[in-house]
Order: sequence, then structure tokens, then C-alpha cells
Amino acid sequence: MSAKTTPDRRATPPSPAQSPQRPAARFNDRLEQATRGAMARVAGNRKTGRMVVAFVLAFSIFAIANPRVFLSPLNMQNIGVAAPEIGVIAIAMMLAMLTGGIDLSLVAIANLSAITIVSLYSGIAASDPALAESLTIPILLAGVVVGIGCGVLNSVLVSVVGITPILATLGTMQILNGIAVVTTGGSTLYGAPAGLSAFGRTALGPVPLLFVVFIVIAALVALFVSRTPLGRKIQLEGANPVAARYSGISSRTVLTSTYTIGGALAGVAGVLFLARNPTASADYGASYVLLVIVIAVLGGTNPNGGFASVAGIVLATLTLQIVSSGFTALRLSSYEYAIAQGVILIAVMVLDYLMANRRSRRSRVEPGPPPTPPGLADSSSTTLTDSH
Amino acid sequence: MQMLRTLRGSNNEGVLALVLLTLIIAMSIISPAFLSAGTAFSTLRSATVPLIFALAVLVVIVSGGIDVSFAAVAIFSAYTAVSFAITTAPDLPAFAIIGFAIAIGAVLGLFNGVVIARFRLPTLIVTLGTQGVFVGVMYTYVGATYYAQLPPSLASLSSVTVIDFATGTGRASLHVMAVVAIGLSLIIWWMLTRTMFGRALYAIGGDAEAARRAGFRVMRTQVLVYVLVGVLAAIAGVAHMVMGRSANPQDLVGDELDIIAAVVLGGASIFGGRGSVLGTVLGVILIQVINNSLLLAGVPSAWLRAAVGMLLIAGVGIQAIAARKKARRVHTVDEQKADRVVEEVAS
Repeated sequence: MSAKTTPDRRATPPSPAQSPQRPAARFNDRLEQATRGAMARVAGNRKTGRMVVAFVLAFSIFAIANPRVFLSPLNMQNIGVAAPEIGVIAIAMMLAMLTGGIDLSLVAIANLSAITIVSLYSGIAASDPALAESLTIPILLAGVVVGIGCGVLNSVLVSVVGITPILATLGTMQILNGIAVVTTGGSTLYGAPAGLSAFGRTALGPVPLLFVVFIVIAALVALFVSRTPLGRKIQLEGANPVAARYSGISSRTVLTSTYTIGGALAGVAGVLFLARNPTASADYGASYVLLVIVIAVLGGTNPNGGFASVAGIVLATLTLQIVSSGFTALRLSSYEYAIAQGVILIAVMVLDYLMANRRSRRSRVEPGPPPTPPGLADSSSTTLTDSH
Repeated sequence: MQMLRTLRGSNNEGVLALVLLTLIIAMSIISPAFLSAGTAFSTLRSATVPLIFALAVLVVIVSGGIDVSFAAVAIFSAYTAVSFAITTAPDLPAFAIIGFAIAIGAVLGLFNGVVIARFRLPTLIVTLGTQGVFVGVMYTYVGATYYAQLPPSLASLSSVTVIDFATGTGRASLHVMAVVAIGLSLIIWWMLTRTMFGRALYAIGGDAEAARRAGFRVMRTQVLVYVLVGVLAAIAGVAHMVMGRSANPQDLVGDELDIIAAVVLGGASIFGGRGSVLGTVLGVILIQVINNSLLLAGVPSAWLRAAVGMLLIAGVGIQAIAARKKARRVHTVDEQKADRVVEEVAS
């Protein structure tokens, strides 16, 4: 675009009057082709870019509206501590959506994992506190294993029995939630390994350790989806199941691993619940089911499958967390936050629709690139000024 | 064979009826008190609000969508109408309050419908969003007060019964709202099977693009579907308050998935184009009877939720396996996935 600022000295005929705008049009075509190619290569960077804008926007709005409360280190730390548990479940939801499914049971799995850990720990600690403390890691692993078990249950229902994901996970959500209610008797259980709580309070400089864990998990999942054969298969399965089948991809394997990994991530989220707050109950995070779907869609996940971006999920999680704590800083109620969530979700989807519509209309109206006579290619960029 | 197929029904209604019958017979053998007019009426009473909700969900599911905001619409419209009557116009007659609630429900449904039909967005996600908006708006701008007393005109409706007689074990009475629910079932049945609008719903649910090419006005029908859901939800909301004799803004929301489970159990396909009022009614009553039986059998109420989940998995799982066997027999590709791809290409 330097041609705009520097007057073209080597501009040669054809003058604009003689052949109006042709080189410029060709330049435009080339520019468009190049950008389209780039778009196609990093398909969805547009959506991630949109989330960056939303993130910065949300942050600056609340920073300006109430800088004293919102920008305080305590509030920043709170955002960093509260985001991981939601973010990890959102990543699991993203994986399910990537295959064109959905997993409504994630929050119930996370709660069951947390309940398992608390019951195991307090059961052992009742007789021997030191032993319970030394068994922290195995106990936490037991929670994650419960998550994996629930994930396997989902995956059997979805891939072997062949139940639609939304119904299968709706059913397991009810079952797991029921089991959680029965085991806790409907009350809140207290007691988590002291080491875990200490871990939850630790910070690397200004960054809470929990947040670091979140970023590490996000990075691992991103690598898994984009760099491993299984991850690519998951993407293709969601984008076009028929093509995936004819490419020799076993949808059963893909779905089984997706829902199992989702269960494992939900189990980890249960551990994160406890690291933040050493209590477990059957109805913790009841509003998370909606929130996690909102995050997944905001983060650029296509609910019909085939496309998702982990970076988008991380940004969407942080943005919603910022909106949530910003609303608190402005003394707005949690119901107003619920309104904001719904409005943001619908607004983003409508915007997406309008953008996609405009793009497809433009590409339909425009003919292909006109045949270009050789030799004029060099002057195209220099004559750009003439067309303006 | 042909007769068996007729008995089974196009959406497995026969199987459902058989399960229901078996359960009722088993329960009557275990506890003779179970089989009485009183139990039947009280089951109908507890099924009233879920049944009206289920009709709303059935209409949406047949049209190929899904709505999880209906409970929010119900509580929003009923609570707004009732609190308006209590605070500003205590002498409002019952039909005016109900009419006001229905109008609010229709407007909220219209909002859902316009967003979904105009922008062709996934219905689950849109209604998840509007659910949050509706509940939030109600708490923030309408109020969050619990009214233990309804306006006099509605309160007098609370004790109206249509059939009322003494039995050996007590009184058996059929609440007027249960009659409303039965009437609505008949209306929706008539609408789905005997009107052009009903046929349009099945056509759109089966294949929206084919319906459009066949001359159905897809967008208009879709908007009307969600308006209808809003109206039905508002009636359910008022019925809930009349039967509970109080207006609590925290009620109803949160049990949406139970209703969807009942409708799916009743044979409606989550992909649209299939479902019947008879199946839905049977599904709702089956869940109510199971709830009652578990309570009578002394199972802790905490297990109810899990029981509904297991029932759903069992019901849908059997359907899925049967569908797969059928598909294998005629050597077609996996229809569900193929449909999804077709949708993707179309959008």
C-alpha cells in the first residue's frame, strides 16, 4: 500500500483515462486471492481475531468504568483463578462439538470427580490424616479416573449403541447427577487435600498456578487437535462424516476417543474445582452447562462440527470471566450477567451469519479473475493511486 | 404381522403403552391401593404442567428444532402477569390475567422464532441464550418477590374441580387445569394431523429444503412454531401457579431436560419430522407413573433423576439399535450423519 503515499514516478501509460482501472482491478483480484488463500490456510483466524477484539474491548470498558476495583491485583487474580475450571470444561465441550456432537454431562462428571476426591480424602483422613495427605496424588488421580470412566460410558452410548450425542449425554447427565445427589445426600461435602488447596493458592509472580495449568492443558489439546493423526481425524469426522468414512476413518474410534478425552478433561476440572474451593456438591456449577456452550460457540467452534480453535476458547473464557467480574465491579447482579451472556451469544451468532452471508454473496456476484495479458503485471501496483 | 405393526404404532406408541400397562399392573399387584381413581386423577394432576410443556416441545421437535427456553418463557409470562395483577390491578378477572400471560408468552416466542428463522441459527444455542436473557430480565426488571397469595380471581380457580367424588380411601378430584391440558392435547393432535400447518411442520422437520421447494413457507411456519410454544408455555406457567396457589419466580426453570426426555421417550425424533401427541402423552404419563411408583416403593427421591436418565438412555438406545439394524438390512449409509451433511451443504 506504499503506492498510496509515494506518488508514482514510474507510472507509465496506459493512463487511467484510456484503460480505466484495469490494473487496479487486477491488483485487487490478486490481493483478494492472496487473502483468501491465507484465510483458507488458517481458517478461523478471523474468529480468533474477533475474540481478541472482544477481549480487549471488554477489558477496556470495565477498566475505564471502574478502574479502582476492576484493575486491582486481587480482581485480576480472581479472574485468573476462576477461569481455569470453566475453560477446561469448555475445551472438552469444544472437542465434542468438533465431531458435530455435544456433551451436556461434562459439569456432572466434574462434580462427580470432585465428590469422589472429597469422599476418598475425608474417608482416609478420618482414620489417618497423614496417610490421606501423602496419598494426595493417587486420590486426585482417582477423581480423574472417575471422569474417564464417565467419558467411556458416554462414548459407548454414542459410538457403539449409536444414540445421538445430545440425548446420550442428556441421559448420562441425569444419571451422574442423580448418583451425585444420592452419594452426597444432597448436602455439601467439605475437605480436600491440603496440598491441593495450597497449590490453588500458589502464584508464579502475578500469575496464579491454576491459570498456568489451564494454559498448559489448552496448549496440549491444541497440539493434539492440530498435530496428531487422531486430532486430524476428529476434525474430518466433524467436517464431513461421509468423507471421513470413505477415507477409512473409523467413526467409532474417533467418537470413543473424543468422549473419553472429554470425560478426562471434566475429571481434571473437578480437581480444579477443589483446588479453588475445598467443597463438593451435586449442584455446583449448575449454570456452567449454558456458560460452557456459550464459550465454545463464542470461541469460534462450529456447533455442526469440523472447526474449532483452542486459542478462541481460551480468549472467550477470559472475556466472559472479565465481563462477569466487571459486572460485579459495577455492582450489577448475576441476573444481569445472565442477560449479558445470552445477548452476547445471540449477537455473535447473528453477526457471524451476516458476515458469512455477505462473503458468500460477494463471491457469488464476482466472476473469476479475468484473463490477464502478460507484461502488465508489474505496473499494477504502481497505478493503484490512479484508481483512488 | 400387519396388525402387530398397527398396534405398535408409527412411533412405537404401542410399545410405550405396553410398558405403561405392565408397570401399572405390577404396581397394583404390589400395592392394591395403587389402582384407584384417586391415583389416576392425582397422576393426571401432577402430569398437567409437564404435559402442556411436552406438547410445546413436541411441536418444536417435529419441526426439526429444539427449545430449552420454554420453562423460562412460562415463568416469565405467568409471573409477570400475576405480579402485575397483584401490585396494580387486584380486581382483574382470571381470563384477563391468563390472556395477558399468553400475550407475553407469544411475544417471547416471537422473539425466539424471528432470531431462529431469520438468521437460520442452531435452535438449541439460540434458546439457551434467550433462556438466560428471559430469566435475567424477569429478575432484574419484573421482580423476584415470592407471592404466597394469588390475585383473588386466580385463587378461586385453584379449587375448581371438574369431577369430584368420594371413594373408599378419600376423595378423587380432577382439577380444571388437568382438563385444560387434555383439551390442549386434543387441539395439538388435531393441528398436527388435520391441518396444513401440521403437515408443514412434519415437512420442514423432515427436510427444510424439500419443504421449501414443495411450496411451504418455511420461515413463516418456523416463527409461528415458536409463537405457539410461547403461548403453550404461558398456559403451563399459569396452570403451575394456579395449582400451586403461589407465584414463585424460581420455579419451573431447570427441569427443561426432563420434559425433552419425556417427549423423546414418546417416540419423537430429535432430528425432526417424527412424533405424535399420543406418544408424547404416554411418555409424560409413564415418567409420572414411574416417579409415583418409586416413591410408593420407598426408593429415595434422589434416585428419581437418575431413573429418568436411565429410562431415556434405555428408550433411545433401543430405538437407535433398531434403526441401525434396519439400516443394515437395506444397505443405506448412516442416515443421521448423511442428514447432517446435507444440512451443512444447504446452509
